[in-house]
Amino acid sequence: MESTAPPVSEGRHLRARVVRTLRPAAFLTGPMAVLALFFLAPLIILLIMSFRYESLYGFQTGWTLDNFRALFTDPIYRGVAKDTLIIASTAMVCQLLVAFPLSYFIAFKAGRWELPLLLLLVLVDELNPIVRIYAWRMLLGREGLINDFLIWTGIIDVPLDWLLFTKFSVILVLSTSWVNYCALPIYASMKAIKPSLFEAATDLGAGWITRWRRILIPLAAPGIFVAIILVYIPLFTDFATPGLVGGTSSYMLGNSVADLMVVIGDWGAGSALSLLMLAAMAVVAVIAYFLTKLNQLD
Amino acid sequence: MAQAASEGAVAPPGRDGSASLGRKPFAVRVRRALDTVGGRTFAIAFIIVLYGPLVMLAVFSFNDSIVFSLPWSGFTTRWYQEALGDENLRGAIRNSLLVASVVAPMSVFLGTLAAYPITRLRFKLRGPAAIVVAAPLVVPWLVIGISALIYFSKVGVALSWATVVPMHIVVTFPLVTVIVAASLARFDRTQEESAIDLGASQFQVLRHVLLPHVAPALIASFILAFSWSFNNFEISFFVGGFDRLFPVWVYSTLRHAVNLPIVNAISTLVSLAEIAFVYGAWLLITWRAGARTSKEKTETLMDAIR
Repeated sequence: MESTAPPVSEGRHLRARVVRTLRPAAFLTGPMAVLALFFLAPLIILLIMSFRYESLYGFQTGWTLDNFRALFTDPIYRGVAKDTLIIASTAMVCQLLVAFPLSYFIAFKAGRWELPLLLLLVLVDELNPIVRIYAWRMLLGREGLINDFLIWTGIIDVPLDWLLFTKFSVILVLSTSWVNYCALPIYASMKAIKPSLFEAATDLGAGWITRWRRILIPLAAPGIFVAIILVYIPLFTDFATPGLVGGTSSYMLGNSVADLMVVIGDWGAGSALSLLMLAAMAVVAVIAYFLTKLNQLD
Repeated sequence: MAQAASEGAVAPPGRDGSASLGRKPFAVRVRRALDTVGGRTFAIAFIIVLYGPLVMLAVFSFNDSIVFSLPWSGFTTRWYQEALGDENLRGAIRNSLLVASVVAPMSVFLGTLAAYPITRLRFKLRGPAAIVVAAPLVVPWLVIGISALIYFSKVGVALSWATVVPMHIVVTFPLVTVIVAASLARFDRTQEESAIDLGASQFQVLRHVLLPHVAPALIASFILAFSWSFNNFEISFFVGGFDRLFPVWVYSTLRHAVNLPIVNAISTLVSLAEIAFVYGAWLLITWRAGARTSKEKTETLMDAIR
């Protein structure tokens, strides 16, 4: 068949070029404007604020590094940062330890359970996170159902105090809040692995440890990377969970920021602290990325 | 080898697959069964940990006592009446529904608008554009929330539910972009080309070829956008001002620890509504995608959310 396209004249060529450059712009102007106005502009103001000095009622203003200096010299922040790191990292590890075998089960072994399990994983994300935290608080309290149950069965005589308002409760609740986000990307990357790879490895005499180490983990690595990026950042910056089920030992950086902003009203320090957290998260993202790369080369 | 390999071809091999050579099929079968049982027990335990607390919350919302503990003090619907009669709470639910119903359609619109050129058009700034659009997804909501708080006060806009709307949109539409872009990227372009060859106009291609393909992704995006907005706590907390949204209402009610039973009641109602909402959407998506078998449905689900 003959091509029906007319010969391209110089004029048409130019017009086509203009259309080619304008069409993306026509689509992207709206979204980009929204991003510029409500994402970039606020972040720039945040950056400026963190270097500003303002006395009460704004009589004196100027540039300063004091906001950052205070954060680095104040031992309180160092303690809070340490607790945040411990809590967020422990929760992350717990979630990976649960999500990885679970994803493996759903992807390869679940059979007709696969769909219901996936639906339940997706559904739980649509339930209100604050309500989910609250439900745990009701269970874990001194007079909560778990203590009631343990006393009723005679396992303990006195209610356990460490169940609520401790690091334990924050790690537990954070883990259950995010583990579905952790499992889905890992599942998706595992689903892309051909089962025949495992069969070939088996035929060549590989045990399950070898199969996991040489096939499953390297091929699921991109999913693990996505899971870490997706989950570690909100874990690290959370303040609702420690606010509701945490105590003094589980006061996190997110709480510091929220209190600085809302209770104390020190916007300079709050901005500086949140920028530092943002920088730390960028580092985490880069580290996770390289770890994944490293694993793939192996 | 023959035995294990033939079995392995039916079911994906597990820990036992390596056994194979010369081992009794019976032992293999027992181990395989144990494997499945172990996996199922693990999965069930997981689901109980995930949903158990909410189920207990629902059960105890009918308990005639102001504390959440045993012994059971009798059945009542009193807390539901009190919850539905509470002015503050009704206002919070109303605000949240209002915000979410503006945010969801706007996010789907903006997100799709951004997804199309990023997947379909060739232009120089395509890579940077994709990165910029995805950026709000990796910035913590805490940071977005406080930056918006400072921003609105510097610009001189009073905080209310109306300031929450653009902030929810800006974190939600990139999610829509990711979902719709993934769906567009999977689309077989030859279908579009053959439609054009058969004389379809550009609008007809969009309406009859592209739209049916991305419809499940659009529905899923709408549901996700709506519930992200309705459930969002961090951003609403900072930029809601005096207009309390539902999650913020729950948070502050719990912080002051008064009137807990009505929190049980309303939480149960909201959770049920959310489940019904998501399940309805799921039925709609599978129907649109024409998925019948469990395998097709699984694929549809992964397509819709990936």
